[in-house]
Amino acid sequence: MNLLIELFAGLGLEGAWPLTFAYAVCIGSLLGFVTVYAMFAIWMERKVAAHIQMRYGPMETGAFHGWAQSLADALKLLFKEDLLPTRANAFLFWIAPAVVFCGVFAGMIVIPFAAGIQIVDLDLGIFFIIAISSVEVVGVIMAGWASNSKYSLFGAVREAAQVVSYELPAATALLAPILIVGSFKLGDFNAYQAEHGWLILANPLMPIAALCYFISSLAGCKRAPFDLPEAESELVSGFHTEYSGMRFSFFFLEEYVSMFVVSLLMASLFFGGTTLPFDLGGFGNWTEWARAETLGAAASLANATPEAIAAAARARTEAGPFADIGNLIGAHAGLAILILKTFFFIFVQMWLRWTLPRLRVDQVMTVGYKYLLPWGLFAVMGTAAWEVLV
Amino acid sequence: MEALEMYTTDDRSDVYTEELKLNLGPQHPSTHGVLRVELKMDGEVITQSRCDIGYLHRCAEKIGENVSYLQFTPYTDRMDYLASMNNNLAWSLTVEKMLDLEVPERAQWLRMICCELNRIASHLIAFGTYGIDIGANTPFFYAFRDREKIMALLERPSGTRMLYNYIQPGGLRRDVDDNWVDDVLTFCGEFEKAWVEYNTLLSHNRIFIGRTANIGIIPREMALDFGLSGPVLRASGVKWDLRRDVPYLAPYDEVDFEVPIGEGTYGTLGDCWDRYWVRMREMMESIRIIRQGCAKLPGGEVMTKKQKSMYKTPMKPGPGHAYMRCENPRGELGFYVVSEGGASPIRNRTRAPSFCNLAVLDQLLPGTMLGDAVAIIGSLDIVLGEVDR
Repeated sequence: MNLLIELFAGLGLEGAWPLTFAYAVCIGSLLGFVTVYAMFAIWMERKVAAHIQMRYGPMETGAFHGWAQSLADALKLLFKEDLLPTRANAFLFWIAPAVVFCGVFAGMIVIPFAAGIQIVDLDLGIFFIIAISSVEVVGVIMAGWASNSKYSLFGAVREAAQVVSYELPAATALLAPILIVGSFKLGDFNAYQAEHGWLILANPLMPIAALCYFISSLAGCKRAPFDLPEAESELVSGFHTEYSGMRFSFFFLEEYVSMFVVSLLMASLFFGGTTLPFDLGGFGNWTEWARAETLGAAASLANATPEAIAAAARARTEAGPFADIGNLIGAHAGLAILILKTFFFIFVQMWLRWTLPRLRVDQVMTVGYKYLLPWGLFAVMGTAAWEVLV
Repeated sequence: MEALEMYTTDDRSDVYTEELKLNLGPQHPSTHGVLRVELKMDGEVITQSRCDIGYLHRCAEKIGENVSYLQFTPYTDRMDYLASMNNNLAWSLTVEKMLDLEVPERAQWLRMICCELNRIASHLIAFGTYGIDIGANTPFFYAFRDREKIMALLERPSGTRMLYNYIQPGGLRRDVDDNWVDDVLTFCGEFEKAWVEYNTLLSHNRIFIGRTANIGIIPREMALDFGLSGPVLRASGVKWDLRRDVPYLAPYDEVDFEVPIGEGTYGTLGDCWDRYWVRMREMMESIRIIRQGCAKLPGGEVMTKKQKSMYKTPMKPGPGHAYMRCENPRGELGFYVVSEGGASPIRNRTRAPSFCNLAVLDQLLPGTMLGDAVAIIGSLDIVLGEVDR
């Protein structure tokens, strides 16, 4: 980010312009990433579903295993007529997909894909993601209300109830790793886990917290078995029943982006982020390199503590003579590792969706309030006690 | 202070909720056709329901009064289109009773095998679509994988995959080929393995049990009062199966099979899970019947001369009436025919199991949630082609 600002400043721009352009470039590239990712994820979902159901899924479009199917679908959706139901509230109907998408998309700006590849490094990064993701609910209610359809309304109300209920256990479960690391900054988690190992192994209660978070995040993403807001066998298509074409695709996009965000949180808060739990042996000192790079990035910040700088220096020495080139590779290896882990959790979400039946509305609430929330609280209290006592 | 008082008084006359009228159908993913249910909803809870049928009415009974007895057979295919064999059988038995026709022994055994195969195919649809109703999409594909095998088997003698028109008054349309029986037995072996998969995937899934156990309970008395039949009746603990109690085909007397009834395994007797589970076990009983049928299948003709003569000149029974009923996958299918001696009956009446089973729906829905409504409709396993005829 700073690099970009300097770049634009170097071009002779003055005042707020370098910052504006830098943001524009960042958001643009993030948007590009999100679109490409969503297309891949949709293709992947169709393939995963197909293979679970003993089918092949798309095979024709693009010749190789239907890789271009999502692209073709996106193109088709773009050219479709933009329909407005009779007596619908045009303005709300219009704006709802944008609100939904923006809420989730905004969460992505604080995600550190790797050391240095991050748009804004907020001190309250995780808090920001949780908070801004909730804006989505407003959009869903808008969509449900404005559609002038009872099924949409049902879907929207279900969504509101569900998301509000499941934010509690999700946020509670996330408190456990935050307690250990002592920071809300996502970058710090990578650094901490490079130093101390994966957080899920930090104490016996962390697996509970991770499980609570994962289940809650399923509900937050409206994924099965919590896909009540769009339960197609009950509510036709839930809150986006009346949407078609590009507006519909925004709801679709939002679902996959929020899957990405929660999976990434899962990977970076519990499962080591950019680090690997083992050395790659003779193949290279990848983990050490990645660690040196991560710690180095932490130490290069303006407010870095002397300990952090010392740790970075130590890590650099340990990383060995190839650290310079290793750093470069390590940074990208860390990115690849993180994305792979994220995709693993996305795969688990898909796997569950195509295996499990759907819960009923009251059962969803029961699971949230009676099981996940107490267990999440238990994990947080236990972690706190563990931190003090052990 | 005034604001505080406003919220502490018990007067809530200005706060009210309205009942929402929701149209479930006729175009809806889980009404299994063009059923329309008018629901009054209080939030997610149903307070009142009213079933509206007739969207698929095709005057089948009236048509039956204008065509010959033989010509009506294909129309029965289109009533319960998931169990055409069984429909053909019921109609053929009625006409045979009317005309006093003898059916060759081999034809009778083949009829039984085909009907049981069709019963499995029909229950597979019930199983697969029920999974979708509850939100699990994958069981549907498992069910269709195996249903496909049955359709291929039944296509070989009948020439069609769904609307067979194979069983005719007097016998069968043609004999099966030489390898057919062996292939049926191979299928039985494969299906027994697949059945275990179904149960791993859906039957004993905790979420599935949570969605179906204790939902849509039909007590024994209610089941009898509403004249329910088939798996819906047996799930309420009534051991009544025409195949066992009124063997309409001679071979049913000679084979050994159980009549599964509901036991309230995970909830109350007669809930959705019981109905589902009765169907699942019936599939295995059908496999037992098919295995025995294939072992005991006698040789000989499958057609009679009288049957062949019907192709040229319509058969004219004497004045009189006949009623025959069969155990269809969905319950008792009965045909009532009144003749005055002409080539076609003057009254042709169908007792459709789906229609009678559907009657209980309005009693079950109030007090349940929208998601349960879908589960209950699915557990009754109706076919709208048969409800409306």
